[in-house]
Amino acid sequence: MSREPDVVQPDAVTVTVTTEIDVAEARQEARRLALRHGFGTVRAHGLATAVSELAMNLVLHTARGGQIRLTAQDAAEAAVIELVAEDDGPGIPDLARAMEDGFSTRGGLGCGLAGTRRLVDTFAITSRVGEGTRIVCLVRRP
Amino acid sequence: MHGLGQILLQNRSGVLDAWLARLRDTAPGAQPASLQLLKLELGTLVEKLTAYFLAGDGDGAGPAFKSVEEQAATISAACARDGLTPMETATLILSLKTIAGELLDRETSAKATELYRMRTALDAGVDRLALITFAAFVETREEIIKRQGRALLDLATPALPIWRHIILMPLVGVIDTQRARQVMEWLLEALAREEAHIAILDVTGVPLIDSRVALHLTKTVEAARLLGSRVIVTGISPDAAQTLVKLDVDLSSMITRGTLRAGLAEAFRLLGRHPKDPIETSL
Repeated sequence: MSREPDVVQPDAVTVTVTTEIDVAEARQEARRLALRHGFGTVRAHGLATAVSELAMNLVLHTARGGQIRLTAQDAAEAAVIELVAEDDGPGIPDLARAMEDGFSTRGGLGCGLAGTRRLVDTFAITSRVGEGTRIVCLVRRP
Repeated sequence: MHGLGQILLQNRSGVLDAWLARLRDTAPGAQPASLQLLKLELGTLVEKLTAYFLAGDGDGAGPAFKSVEEQAATISAACARDGLTPMETATLILSLKTIAGELLDRETSAKATELYRMRTALDAGVDRLALITFAAFVETREEIIKRQGRALLDLATPALPIWRHIILMPLVGVIDTQRARQVMEWLLEALAREEAHIAILDVTGVPLIDSRVALHLTKTVEAARLLGSRVIVTGISPDAAQTLVKLDVDLSSMITRGTLRAGLAEAFRLLGRHPKDPIETSL
């Protein structure tokens, strides 16, 4: 990410997610961070939900969990929050299918990844089988 | 290690006094009442340790050391309940090494090799006790946390019969898998018990509804339907509604209303009744 000269010190939070309790903590942190940087309650709720979906994936699909990293950057007119979910779990063999609505390997509703993509402004996912998955999202405040 | 045991036995009160002085340094904030109790427990520990050294060769293992270990665990649990940190507790136990070590230097006329052996035995014993203390401390804290968790689970999900054939279940707090399972169980149980036709599930107190929670809600509604009952979900916030639409969660199988009041009105409509109707208390 390029940094503008008027960008102040980034505000960052990292939560290690291995159990369901960590999921709750991660989304609380996300909500607080968003509100702190002037996001509206709808956007904050959306971000918290995105965090919840990604964090729950870490709990359900990896043996050792993973990390949720949130970084907020305030600029003069706008703010942006970067959400990174990273793990060294089994990876996703078929990314295209995983992104489909209604596809689930664990009996869920199958809208976790697809829904998360709709909740954020930009969404990028990379995954290697046996190495892990990394998802980077951006949420902007106009 | 008979010699070590003898020395401890002869200087028991001195060791205990020195140890209690340490206790006041390590935990200045401790309550006098709990200090009194700790004093007794520490006294018992010194006694048991003395007996152990008097009887055995002092290798710090085996069944003979068991009773000393148990006493250390008791002390640790007491410290945990009194709010001492694990650091303070471990420091307290480890300080016995210094106290008894100084005592040995002062009291024994034994040769250097003999003194060295005594100190090694003492160190090994106290080190082991410190480890046990730490494990016991963590265990006690975890037990407290678990108990609190269970207590919360108990009070978090009441099913209230609010009208004939209508029960209300207000959900408050985070819904994880365990909670969700319990909500479903209790709701179905209450529906059967109260012979209710309608259950109102109020989620005003649930901070966030993600696809996981939505899935649990859908399952609960489906299970209730099998019992011939309808579930009305109320209290989904405007923020949550907008998020759920983006997530594209299919909630069409359930009746939802914005507020509990609207939910109750819907319940009456479904029952073909009016709130002003007299309440039938029996069939």
